[in-house]
Amino acid sequence: MGTFFISTVITMTDGDYDYLIKLLALGDSGVGKTTFLYRYTDNKFNPKFITTVGIDFREKRVVYTASNPNGTATGKTFKVHLQLWDTAGQERFRSLTTAFFRDAMGFLLMFDLTSQQSFLNVRNWMSQLQANAYCENPDIVLVGNKADLADQREVQEKQAKELADKYGIPYFETSAATGAEVDKAVITLLDLVMKRMEQCVDKPPADSANGNGATKLEASQPSEKKCAC
Amino acid sequence: MPEALDSINLGFLSDSERELVLDVLRRDEELRLVEEQRVRKLKTELQEVKRKGAKLGSGNYSEHSCGRCQEPLSRLTVFSNQCKMCNHYVCRSCQTFLPNGSWLCSVCTKESDIKKRTGDWFYDQRINRFSGAPGHNLVRASLKKRPPAKKRETIGETLLRSVENNTNPFKPVPLPRQKVQTATISQSKENLGSIASRESFESKTNVSSKPTHSDTESAENTSIVSGKTETESGRATPEQPRAHNSVPSSPTGSSVSSLTVPMKADIVHTDSGNSNSSAPVLQVKPADLSLELEVDRLFKKSIKRAPKPTECLSTLDLRDGCEAPAASMGHRSRSVPGLDVQEDEDEEEDIDRLVSFHKLSMAKSSSSLQSSKGTLGSLMSIYSESGDFDSVEVSGDVVFSVSYDEHTQSLYVLIKACHDLAHGDASRQLSNPYVKCYLLPDKSRQSKRKTSIKKKTTNPVYNETLKYTISRSLLATRSVLISVWHHGRLSRNTFLGEVEVALDYRDLDSSSESCMRLLAKAASVVQPSAFAQYKGELVISLKYVTHKKTTEKVKGKKSSTEEGGELHVLIKEAKNLTAIKGSTSDSFVKGYLFPTKSKTTKKKSAVVKKSLNPQYNSTFVYKELTLEQLKEMCLELTVWDREAMLSNEFLGGVRLSSGKGIIKVEKEEVVLDSAGEEVSLWQMMMQYPDSWAEGTLTLRSTMGKTKNK
Repeated sequence: MGTFFISTVITMTDGDYDYLIKLLALGDSGVGKTTFLYRYTDNKFNPKFITTVGIDFREKRVVYTASNPNGTATGKTFKVHLQLWDTAGQERFRSLTTAFFRDAMGFLLMFDLTSQQSFLNVRNWMSQLQANAYCENPDIVLVGNKADLADQREVQEKQAKELADKYGIPYFETSAATGAEVDKAVITLLDLVMKRMEQCVDKPPADSANGNGATKLEASQPSEKKCAC
Repeated sequence: MPEALDSINLGFLSDSERELVLDVLRRDEELRLVEEQRVRKLKTELQEVKRKGAKLGSGNYSEHSCGRCQEPLSRLTVFSNQCKMCNHYVCRSCQTFLPNGSWLCSVCTKESDIKKRTGDWFYDQRINRFSGAPGHNLVRASLKKRPPAKKRETIGETLLRSVENNTNPFKPVPLPRQKVQTATISQSKENLGSIASRESFESKTNVSSKPTHSDTESAENTSIVSGKTETESGRATPEQPRAHNSVPSSPTGSSVSSLTVPMKADIVHTDSGNSNSSAPVLQVKPADLSLELEVDRLFKKSIKRAPKPTECLSTLDLRDGCEAPAASMGHRSRSVPGLDVQEDEDEEEDIDRLVSFHKLSMAKSSSSLQSSKGTLGSLMSIYSESGDFDSVEVSGDVVFSVSYDEHTQSLYVLIKACHDLAHGDASRQLSNPYVKCYLLPDKSRQSKRKTSIKKKTTNPVYNETLKYTISRSLLATRSVLISVWHHGRLSRNTFLGEVEVALDYRDLDSSSESCMRLLAKAASVVQPSAFAQYKGELVISLKYVTHKKTTEKVKGKKSSTEEGGELHVLIKEAKNLTAIKGSTSDSFVKGYLFPTKSKTTKKKSAVVKKSLNPQYNSTFVYKELTLEQLKEMCLELTVWDREAMLSNEFLGGVRLSSGKGIIKVEKEEVVLDSAGEEVSLWQMMMQYPDSWAEGTLTLRSTMGKTKNK
């Protein structure tokens, strides 16, 4: 990845940061979005299932080290303030939650490795994203949560990997209970967003002006992922 | 405050839930204020840099001095020192190198840096999404002369502002008032709900002559919304019955539009019934409506909900606009049964036959077929073509390639050749084969492409390209049906085999060749489960209305509902339907409550034209039901594309039940194979009588019985 992070605890109310990056977690009810984010921001685990009412968010400040295209760190570090939106997976809040999709720069699309149904619904979430996000091919990371419950697993890694490849997005198997891969998933997404930002801005206007429309979500064209601005 | 959240269809939130959401929004606001300050500071910095780097944009400068610091440039360096962003020639010291090795002038560097730090890269792109591509949005924006939305505005901000603008006495005003207000609303909701279950006209006029609730309500609300009347009146038009408004309806609104599709009443009745009732609705919730509009406006400005849908919505909007004067004259003028209504009736039988035909064949087919997507899709093609062709034992294969060209927005199906075809003319042992192609689900003539006919061969070579003009984003839900036919010059054509190629998994960028074995009709497609193919979603609400609530109706009328309650099924909307006609569909929803499959349980919504996200807002009411009975019943809702001349096209369906058991419907058996949300919604309805249970259900691509799940 070539990106290094050191999470730091700073008073979060000041404006002393370089970037405000807004990410959003979505997926079926009960897949563990809230506990995942709680693990990420506070490094704690809450096994109780408390259903999220509509929306919520958590914050965390991290230090991002920009990297060259060849992967070496440039030494330039930035303070990134992460606003991590948590959405209710429940159907009844859908109109509210999808409205918030438009304000996020990157997405953690989560499903439960112990629930085939939650995995099947990934496709629906993808189309929701395509319809409601700021552009048609936003940065997304597919997250299969509850990897610790190996004996209850219903979704095989290969299956999920295939789907992620189809969409051209990274895939992680995480556990909010143990903390495995949680940081990595978020960091990868942040990296994607930061890369896209660079690409978007550091481009001669001729290329970026109203490009030929975004590439679509469905097709597997990871290499063609370009910003559509 | 509750109203504001209602505006994005949150009427179901309890007070405490609203509080929670508002807390989140306020926390968000804190962060936003900090961020705004930071952004302001950054933008001032940029101004500073720009002022120093003087020549920006003026063009009045010598090519031989640095565009930024004005220092003279040496002749040698001039041409290699042009900033690729602003095209100014700049000196070495005014160049900043980027991580990727290229450089930009100091001003451009700062500009792009600021663009990143402020998040403008994101907001610019977001705003592009609605104003850039689809022209109709621009048209609409200019028509409605809306002020441009603030680029950086977030939904949280909008929500919070609409809350606080409208009930700014949020803190001073004590809680009781809110309580009272919500109580009234829910009470009137109940009233409307119960009234909705009535058929008689008197009862409906009753509603409008019930001024108590609505008056107090509107009085209370107008004080809050003063100054918004203009938008309100604008809003009134789309609220007409069967209006295709794109605004999510709030629960109260929905219970109103639930004013019965009476058992046998025709659509004319429904229309006029609704027109009577729509008046009180508008009185009841003026505040909601205006807010709804506000958020709605924001949505339309900056969210493109779905690529195709917006297109349809805007078309509808424009049409709504045209109809506005007529609507104000009352709906009776409109309720003259339109063409569509009549055609509808004609088609019913057609659909029914199709469904039963389908069910029948599903029942008969072998178990391997049961789990296949032997679907309506291909079965219907048998149906529509049945009797029209001979068929032989299929053999051989077809060689083809499918590719997509971004520039021409076209899908190319190159039919190369076929091998070892069966003899179409068995007696003369020969075939005159040609290849026919459809881009499913469109099975109309528009989608039909044919190759030439090759004479007397079972190994024809075509090398012919069949072209479809279609936008790439639509392809994922499409598939190519390639069929081979024998052309009988005097006799009928003979079916020689077919293959269906789904496009969502296919690599359309390389035109790699495929050689596929031809299959007989019904077996040509194999799909693992009914949900595997995404057909969109259906948003519905269910409510079981208990006996008590309905008895306080008209005194004289001997209520036949004494034996049980009623099941109200509100068909709200569908989302992301498959496009059948070009990029849209004209859809309607049909419902059955099994085990009775008679006219009494068959219900239909009105047809919503030209939309892939149609708003139906129609209610099916099933009477004289007990909860015990419902446990054993199954509600089947199917979405259809209405075809004027052809058979209607199946777009998807849902089956709501307990998810266990089998029920006999006439001579067929229906397996209660409901799953997931289909079951939970059904159970929620039974668990909480007299309240709406709303859900978004994924449409099945087939209603056939599936073995597992």
